[in-house]
Amino acid sequence: MTALPAFFAPYQDAINRALERVVPGEPASTNGGAPAVIDAMRYTLLAPSKRVRAVLVMLAADICGNDNRALPAACAVEAVHAASLMLDDLPSMDDAPLRRGRPSAHRQFGEAIAILAAFGLLNNAFGHLSREYDAVLATRLVTLLADAVGLDGLVAGQAEDVLATESMLSFETLERIHRRKTGVLFSASATAGALTAGGSERDIAVLTAYAKNLGLAFQVVDDLLDVTGSSEETGKVTRQDARKTTFVSFSGVEGARALAEELCRTACAALEPFGRRGAHLRELADFVASRRL
Amino acid sequence: MPPSPDPRVDELREQLKALGYLDARVDRFVLGGGAKRGRGAALAAAASARLGALAGVLLGPAAAIGLRARVPGLVASGTDAIVLAAYLAIFFGLATMLVSGAAILVGAAIARRSAASPGFPRRARQVAAAAGLLVGLACLVYLSLWWHTATGAGSGSLAWTIAIVLIAVTISLLLGHGVLVTVLAFLARSGLARSLEPGLPLSSWRTTAPLAALSFAGAVALLVAAPGTRLEPAPATLTVVPTNQRVVVVGIDGIDVPTLDRLRRAGRLPQLDRLLAQGVGSLASDPDRDPARVWTTLATGQPPERHGVRSLEARRVPGLEGRLQPGASGWSAITAATDLLRLTRPTIASGETRLIPAFWEVAARAGLRTAVVHWWATWPAPDDSGIVISDRALLRLERGGPQDGEIAPASLYQALQAGWSDRRTRAASEGAAAIAAALPGDLSAAMRRSAELDATLIDLAADPLLGTPDLLVLYLPGLDIAQHALFESQSAGALSPSAAADRLAALEQYYVFLDQSLARFVDAGDRPARRSLGAGGPGEGGRSVILVTQPGRVEHAGAGMVALSGAVAATAQVSASATAVAPTILHALGVPVARDLASGPVLELFTGVFVDAHPLREVASFGARRSYARTGSGAPLDREMIERMRSLGYLR
Repeated sequence: MTALPAFFAPYQDAINRALERVVPGEPASTNGGAPAVIDAMRYTLLAPSKRVRAVLVMLAADICGNDNRALPAACAVEAVHAASLMLDDLPSMDDAPLRRGRPSAHRQFGEAIAILAAFGLLNNAFGHLSREYDAVLATRLVTLLADAVGLDGLVAGQAEDVLATESMLSFETLERIHRRKTGVLFSASATAGALTAGGSERDIAVLTAYAKNLGLAFQVVDDLLDVTGSSEETGKVTRQDARKTTFVSFSGVEGARALAEELCRTACAALEPFGRRGAHLRELADFVASRRL
Repeated sequence: MPPSPDPRVDELREQLKALGYLDARVDRFVLGGGAKRGRGAALAAAASARLGALAGVLLGPAAAIGLRARVPGLVASGTDAIVLAAYLAIFFGLATMLVSGAAILVGAAIARRSAASPGFPRRARQVAAAAGLLVGLACLVYLSLWWHTATGAGSGSLAWTIAIVLIAVTISLLLGHGVLVTVLAFLARSGLARSLEPGLPLSSWRTTAPLAALSFAGAVALLVAAPGTRLEPAPATLTVVPTNQRVVVVGIDGIDVPTLDRLRRAGRLPQLDRLLAQGVGSLASDPDRDPARVWTTLATGQPPERHGVRSLEARRVPGLEGRLQPGASGWSAITAATDLLRLTRPTIASGETRLIPAFWEVAARAGLRTAVVHWWATWPAPDDSGIVISDRALLRLERGGPQDGEIAPASLYQALQAGWSDRRTRAASEGAAAIAAALPGDLSAAMRRSAELDATLIDLAADPLLGTPDLLVLYLPGLDIAQHALFESQSAGALSPSAAADRLAALEQYYVFLDQSLARFVDAGDRPARRSLGAGGPGEGGRSVILVTQPGRVEHAGAGMVALSGAVAATAQVSASATAVAPTILHALGVPVARDLASGPVLELFTGVFVDAHPLREVASFGARRSYARTGSGAPLDREMIERMRSLGYLR
């Protein structure tokens, strides 16, 4: 098991504390089944997690010179990600029994509550951004995340993934699915962090290149872990993708590992304009390349 | 990246690159500035600017190397090369920006016309690829032709040519790829992102490698097929066969042959009469009578197209020490415009623009001792061509201070400066004594200055510090200057007969002054000289004097002369060309003559005995004149030279 970089812990603590406020335990008004939805939202959102995307938001802001305003955006990204996991695990989709080492949300709360909780998290994410930032920045961040979720993002990627489960995919199709399901949110995370810090267009371009390569590397490693990891290590059921086309299908285990490492090296190289300020992001890329969980 | 043992990984790597992962730095660089800004046009502008910057960085230094080869004298130092590369980088950057911008906008416009059709994704890729190929091809053709013209067909080594073509192919592919990427990005930014297929056309190794190979073959074919440029042959080894002659060459500017003949007949020019009594070649008037051009033709034996000094006036480019020598007639309008914009400024032609060695440089290379005084375009004085008191030496000696190539060897400068004051006093005295005609004050002063100048130069040429050179070359401008002041300046407008007569009398006095001043060379020519020029020389040596006058003057047409006097001179009257002067002088010294000179020596000027004893020997070529590094810029004296030339009527 590869340990997270040491600098992750303070970021994770801050993010976890802030996430508590995104979905408070005591709703402002309770009626009918709302407490169940809130519980389901909190169950998935606050489950033990590496918070890679949220930390990426914070690091992108930090590298652009100011991470003081990045926490709400990090929470919104994490909420969107949690929502996507809940939907991804549904019986009509991947039908995953485990998530983050626990029964998946639909197994715990039922399918209907899980779906509602996922929508609740999405709306909370956008609402959180609108409340926490000024109108101009909030608009940009909401648009950014909406695009990441939408028809060139998570929704499109998941739809194509669901429809393509039984067929052998082309490499380009596989890349497109993963880009939309994973890469787009990685890129949005980096861009969101830069936007909250007032980063320049150049900063955003550099961070986008970094996140794009990192996102794909993350997915390639995910595919590898599905083949080589155990449920105890990954917190989810492995060999789940045996019937699916993955990067491992194209290049074999060692080839996929080599490509993941190369993608991470490219991500690190993209950070050259930031010089030594990119140290944490490079550590993050190293971690992704070598992660075992 | 070393190739992976699993071929699938290599293939995936290429596919990932095509999809924008891994090493897509060029794409990021090209699109980075416009990635989030405005719509398509803004992106096209930003990307074009970045492509321009890329092209500037890549092509500027390469073009500077090429231009240095094409325009000798323009780059005189490492700083020059850097400044020139910067200028060219800006030029090529702007040109590439415009070409790329046009290709991007036109390509995108063509592709958008089919936006509604089902075949749009394919069409968009085709158009983007075509735009990229077009820009890449234009760049490759230009770079190949540049290499061809910079080096001459086949003159570059094979290894260098292959390396340069490979670099050209890489640069071209890079720029073409940038345009291709930007066209697609433009379309994506125009709301067509979802209609585009993922990935880039022509970006995997399977297409790039054959394209690069094809480009390489095309560039090589272009190099082979393009019309060749004339090559400068390597300089031959020069072996002197001693003639036992020390040669004095006196160039007198401004001689009017009818006036000279009239004064000779009147017995007023005994020295010149003796110099002109033997072999005389009449030089046809040059239709272009620019003095720097003609005197350099006389010195090199090559026409201006070969020797490179095309006019008295050259141009300096700010930041460059070297000089640009505009040649074609169309340049005058361009240089007028660039002068106005302060991109260039006028300067005087110099040795830096001369491509061909002068006869004294050839003689020095052959091992003879040479000294040249004040000939046109001799500054900066090279340190390996004997004694050179350049056409800027007098200014430097007058002003003092550290010299900047005015005199070679450098050690001579201090010695000459030590006696400079006395020399000027003597010359002033001679000048004042020379002109006694009744002239208006300003004319009288101009005449005295001219005489003083010639007296100074003659004094310098006779200075023992110059030793006893095998070849002494002296150029005298005073008569030309005096004549201009008397008859061609503004004050010479409508002259009364008496005023005209006074001026003519003054001019005649100047001829007489010159005649007397030359006595020291003519007299010495009659005496036997030391046995000279190494072993094997038969008999006693002597001194030959070769008088050269300019064929035509700034204001008037007129024949020039080359006259040989001394023991080896025949009595002959022949016609010759200006390009025959240099080989004639070299032949008198026993130096072989280059076959690629525009003319051979005028053998009729030599006695039959000399010609029999010294048959014409030839070598293939003297080669090109090598450039010399300087430490200074020459700029401090430029303005003064220009003003002096202007006051003398050379510059308008």
